[in-house]
Amino acid sequence: MNDVNLLPPCAEFEFDLVDLRDGALGPDRARAVRAHVHACARCRGWLESFAALDAHLAEHLPRPALSSDFAARLEARLSAATRRAPASELLAAEDDEYSRLLAALRRNARRNAVLGGIAVAAVAAGGILLTPALLTATGSLLGSLPAQERAIGLGSAGAMIAIAALAWSALQGALPMIRGRA
Amino acid sequence: MDAGIEEHLAAGRHARAFDLLVPAFQDRVFRLAYSILRDRAAAEDAAQETFVRVWKALPRFDGRAALGTWIYAITRNTCLMELRRRRPTVSFDDPESTEAMHAAADIATGPAGDPERDNLLRLVDTLPRNQQEAVRLFYLEDRSYEAVAEQLGMPLGTVKNLLHRARKRLMELAGPVEVKAA
Repeated sequence: MNDVNLLPPCAEFEFDLVDLRDGALGPDRARAVRAHVHACARCRGWLESFAALDAHLAEHLPRPALSSDFAARLEARLSAATRRAPASELLAAEDDEYSRLLAALRRNARRNAVLGGIAVAAVAAGGILLTPALLTATGSLLGSLPAQERAIGLGSAGAMIAIAALAWSALQGALPMIRGRA
Repeated sequence: MDAGIEEHLAAGRHARAFDLLVPAFQDRVFRLAYSILRDRAAAEDAAQETFVRVWKALPRFDGRAALGTWIYAITRNTCLMELRRRRPTVSFDDPESTEAMHAAADIATGPAGDPERDNLLRLVDTLPRNQQEAVRLFYLEDRSYEAVAEQLGMPLGTVKNLLHRARKRLMELAGPVEVKAA
């Protein structure tokens, strides 16, 4: 580019020169502008420089294209957003939930069994420890009773203690076979 | 707008209209996204996101604006949200702001190796963001002012003025440019 090209074009032709290059001028106006360019070194130089820049931009600016699978990926994306879960996924989800429920029930049963065992052992130990004292305390009363009635009284007391221990164990879930439905 | 798309929309057949509008608009949506984001993969993602939004909103499209105008507005908003996600300081109110100018300056523009090309792309990067977008889109759209105006949602005169200022500035920055034979 020479020095003339660095000079601005004639002000009244500046936009016309761009439109001429872009092919946006009507035929009459294009003819008139070309005649001016032919006669005006400044406008000619400016137009040449502009045309060179235009060609560089057209050549060098990136012109990317869409991937060939664009539409397919869009369709898959829309399908994923709208489709209902297939039966296999629903069944798998139900199986998973059922397994988690069973595991929770087993954990609960084990804990109740341990607690129940501890409770039964505690009642039995308490009974063993308390029986001599009870017998001593009630000895005078029992001694005054006939042998048959004394046996019935002791048996009844033992049965009541056993029933109470069973009932308490059942309430704690240690005996699931007689536990009521939740 | 494609007459077939218009008829399907008027009849409430949104899925059928969508099937037609994707191939009709996907390239222009992608090019618009690329002119804003300057990254092929990001532009493709934005184009996908644009069509997902179009698909969701299509039943509410009332036809007051042209379908293309509506789709391009969604595209621009999708891209601006992406720019904002990358740089929370991007100003949408002031397209000439420094933040806006350099919002996507670190996005790769393609393989390096051609100094002339790299220099030109660097010069384009120095333009205000709205001028950059206009220049990129203008050459992507084969020098169509009308296409750029429609996609950027600007009056034709504004686009011509933007492009004129941008290329004049590039001529000043580039200095002597070798004139290539046509």
